[in-house]
Amino acid sequence: MSELAILVEDVALSFPKKRGLKGLILGLFKDNKVRHHALKGINLSISKGEIVGIIGTNGCGKSTLLRVISGIYPPDSGTCKVRGNISLLAGLGTGFSAHQTGRENAILYGSILGYSEQKIIDKLPEIIQFSELGRFIDEPIRTYSAGMKARLGLAVASAIQPDLLLIDEVLGVGDPAFRKKSTDRIMEMVRQAGTVVIVSHSFGMLSEICDRLVLIEKGKILAEGNPQDVISAYHQNVKSTKE
Amino acid sequence: MVQNDLSSSLRIVGQKSSPLTAPYHNLKLLIQNKFLVRNLVRRDVRGKYRNALLGYAWTVIEPTLLSIVYWFLFIMLAGNPDEYYAVWVLIGVIVWSCFGKSLMASVTSLTGNTRVIHLVFFPRIIFPTTAMVANITITVMSSLVVIPIILAYGFPFGIHLILIPVGIFLSGVMGMGLGIIFAPLNCMQRDVEHLFRFIVRAGFFVSPVMWTYEMAMERGVFGEIVLWNPMVVPITMARHGLMGKWPDMPVEWIGYSVFVTVGLWILGNIIFDKFEREAVKHL
Repeated sequence: MSELAILVEDVALSFPKKRGLKGLILGLFKDNKVRHHALKGINLSISKGEIVGIIGTNGCGKSTLLRVISGIYPPDSGTCKVRGNISLLAGLGTGFSAHQTGRENAILYGSILGYSEQKIIDKLPEIIQFSELGRFIDEPIRTYSAGMKARLGLAVASAIQPDLLLIDEVLGVGDPAFRKKSTDRIMEMVRQAGTVVIVSHSFGMLSEICDRLVLIEKGKILAEGNPQDVISAYHQNVKSTKE
Repeated sequence: MVQNDLSSSLRIVGQKSSPLTAPYHNLKLLIQNKFLVRNLVRRDVRGKYRNALLGYAWTVIEPTLLSIVYWFLFIMLAGNPDEYYAVWVLIGVIVWSCFGKSLMASVTSLTGNTRVIHLVFFPRIIFPTTAMVANITITVMSSLVVIPIILAYGFPFGIHLILIPVGIFLSGVMGMGLGIIFAPLNCMQRDVEHLFRFIVRAGFFVSPVMWTYEMAMERGVFGEIVLWNPMVVPITMARHGLMGKWPDMPVEWIGYSVFVTVGLWILGNIIFDKFEREAVKHL
């Protein structure tokens, strides 16, 4: 077994539930902490070079797990260890400033993603070329269409090769031609990155590229292993919960 | 985050040192992330006046118009107390708004950046800090309005003018320090934000914006009570600087105000650091 890239040990995470004034006052007298348990003891180890897909129904904790790995939420209990630098590909273009130009936003977004100044400056020509924005790159972002924003976001997010790549449902943006290009680009990143974790609902794509799938249901790992087996476990699980 | 020296060994995600050392660590983080801070400040400053015909001129127009209104109001109520009164109100409005805006921006620094917080991880102290730096920058720009005033009223040009940015800086840091104490709480209940909006409005009247330190002192013992308001020093400092003198007030009160400012900032960092992680789960 090669060296570990991600090691998630018994991670639990719960979210507080919104309480009204009544609940708040009652909470002073008795301990009625209502919490939503998003992750209940997840154990997962991913080796360097592996491509792992995470599937599960909506709200099962897939995205939360990625956020724990990337450091957005610290776990309530358990530990999560990683090796190398991480990049989470989700919500492309978060933090764009509508009144600044595409070029300024590329630099801004790059710095939000944690790139150094030198790296962004080096990569800027490549980013502009990939985004296919042409003269629009020096226009304010507010004049862009949704697809153009997504293209710029992807161009920046994919400019730097991380050791660990976490992808949360970002495939399929823009027009068909660009969708193909963006999928190719992400696939290229996937191939080059040391280790990849993908959250997605496109089972076809997952079974094609992943070495291993993980099925999460209600904050727990239900099945793990060979893509075909896990996908059939998913369908079986969906059927059984319906009944 | 892209960091080079981490690729060698497994590291625990989201491990943090004790909150008590937070002020020191946060300063270090800000220096490490200075490129990001610079870009976010630029976004705030440029974004604010983009798409406006008069652009940055609004930084000067807004406080000027406001002080004309207050000047008019005061004359209606009390008669003209002082030939420079409009100028003192203008300075008061400028310095106070720096405090108020930094305070509100810090209180809402987590709630207002929900999308970014959900999708990227970086030290969250960066949000209120960039808001404060952007506010100080904008306020210093608006204080350029003193140049025509100096020419019109014949105030001396000199080193004392440095007191204006110093007063602005003090008020900005004080606003941030107070604001980040309550930023995590605001994630849980937005009532905090509404309460602070009221505090900024009410504080306007109990701070020397429409009145001056000298007016308060004429009221004897009653006037001395106002010195407990730490905002008296930054505003008075800026006014005295414009007059061309060093702050003409007891040194212990200046020390008190600086102490409160630094104290709030340190306390704010500790509290923000301790509660921020649980608080963002409420977003």
